[in-house]
Amino acid sequence: MYRIRLHGRGGQGMKTASRIIGSAFFAEGFEVQDAPRYGAERRGAPIFAYVRASLRPILERGVIRRPDLVVVADESLVQVPAAGVLQGIDEHSLLLLDSLEPAEVWQERLKLQGPVLTMGSQAEGSSELPTVGARCAGAAARLVGVISRSALEGAIREELAGLGDTVVASNLETALASFDAFASDEGRVCPPEEAQLAPHTAPAWVDVPHDAAGISAPDVHGAATSVQVRTGLWRTVRPEIDAERCHGCSWICSTFCPDGAVLATPEGVPRIDYDHCKGCMICASVCPHHAIASVLERDAS
Amino acid sequence: MSETRFQRMKDLPSTHLLGAGTAMCAGCGALQALQTIYDVLGERTVFVNAAGCMTLLSVYPFTPFRGSWLYTAMACAPAGAQGVRDALDILIAKGRIPPGEDLSVVTLTGDGAANGMGLSSTSGAIERGLDFLYICYDNEGYGNTGQQTSGATPHGARTATSGAPHGHAGFKKDLFSIWTAHRPAYAATVIGAEPLDLARKVEKAASLRGPRFIHVLAPCPTGWDFEPSEMIDVGRLAVRTGIWPLKEYENGQVVHTRTPHPRAPVEEYLRLQGRFRHLFEPEPDAETLGSIQQRVDDYWEAAG
Repeated sequence: MYRIRLHGRGGQGMKTASRIIGSAFFAEGFEVQDAPRYGAERRGAPIFAYVRASLRPILERGVIRRPDLVVVADESLVQVPAAGVLQGIDEHSLLLLDSLEPAEVWQERLKLQGPVLTMGSQAEGSSELPTVGARCAGAAARLVGVISRSALEGAIREELAGLGDTVVASNLETALASFDAFASDEGRVCPPEEAQLAPHTAPAWVDVPHDAAGISAPDVHGAATSVQVRTGLWRTVRPEIDAERCHGCSWICSTFCPDGAVLATPEGVPRIDYDHCKGCMICASVCPHHAIASVLERDAS
Repeated sequence: MSETRFQRMKDLPSTHLLGAGTAMCAGCGALQALQTIYDVLGERTVFVNAAGCMTLLSVYPFTPFRGSWLYTAMACAPAGAQGVRDALDILIAKGRIPPGEDLSVVTLTGDGAANGMGLSSTSGAIERGLDFLYICYDNEGYGNTGQQTSGATPHGARTATSGAPHGHAGFKKDLFSIWTAHRPAYAATVIGAEPLDLARKVEKAASLRGPRFIHVLAPCPTGWDFEPSEMIDVGRLAVRTGIWPLKEYENGQVVHTRTPHPRAPVEEYLRLQGRFRHLFEPEPDAETLGSIQQRVDDYWEAAG
């Protein structure tokens, strides 16, 4: 059985990528499961999707804990604990990253035993974002080695049919180019031998006493604990305040920021809270003095 | 509103009570409005939250609030508010907490709950004269589940359940009039893009007792399909085109707190949003656009 896990940010099209890969497998005669994980699928937030494909009936359900292929549409997710990009990766798992940096750098940085591949370049602006998913789908299709070019094309046409001819054409172009680019890596994904129940020995039984409800599910008495969640990791673009141009009218940017991520110093000078700023760029659009610039996150100091 | 402490933008708080780090989308119009609402109400507030986008504000063990938050099913936030109010009243009556430690009870629901399945429990709570503030953040669809059509979806909008060529066939329910027909203590429409108007109305609502209603139009980048950075522009245009009238109800009278003059054509507001794109491309849908404009014109004509 092939087990593929896809990681991306809401809006990059990774759920659609999972559907494309699933439909392509299906066209090749496989039994298929493809599903996103339901949660807070917010634009910019980490999202997950899973594909299982097998020539025999699939009896497995739920999240994929031991993936054969992990596809990551956004390299900044690797450092987000909640994204769990590296979860369950071992020496047999292939990691495919959309990154400007070469595979060897990632291999060394993450100390991985298994193979790593990188591809293409990251999208330059939000307008290119929707095809990241297509690029990932094209690459994944080639890497498993059992999906033909025509099956991939058919799957894209089927899954994107409702979005109009222009969207289908640009996604096809991206996906097929990606499929072709990975020709030399065809079939790199190797599913391991299926685990058998027979030789499995159950661990020794341990009785754990029940805790009182107050211990096992304690009340939260802390105020505003959400600040421990670093939503700044969602960001692909960041606002930067030009101190020369800023007139210190912090009540404007601070009031219009949905996330309370523009703070005012005691002197009334606005300061961006990069731990929590999601990069919506509303502050830049409402600043009367145009003192806030948009900077791509990877170019930020 | 001469007694307001919010005379100009500068009077709005620059430090906020609501904690950052919530799971709302980047550019969320509901969260932006809630920042100011919470700043004005203060931390001695209990939120009773019906299922919806805002449910994700408090995901155990994290909360952006500084006080209690109660999660209810979609239909019964006002009933939850009744329970909290009763509990507080009983504790005060029994001397278990001093009257000075009373809390104000605020219901927070989306438009799905407010216009649809929560309407009967809302009506019941107003009928009983429950002392609570009901905040509806209205993103004009079931936003948390992928923007399906709700009772608040405007005419012509594309949603996950109303498609091309003409979008949603029905019309946005007039929730403000449904509320005022119950003769509550206070009702007002607000939008985060007009924060001063919003702060004054929340301030007034907080000073009154009995059932009170604040209806927030919440531009939604995800559900309405526009760039998050344009959220405030979309909100301002909702007011300038007259599509979202800012008004308040008190003592049986409805007063408009902002009369856009001249009114911008509705197309300026609709054109910014992907959910109305089919009204402009490939060919302009003059009939639908005309009927949307006509309803806005009729509204303001009737409003005098």
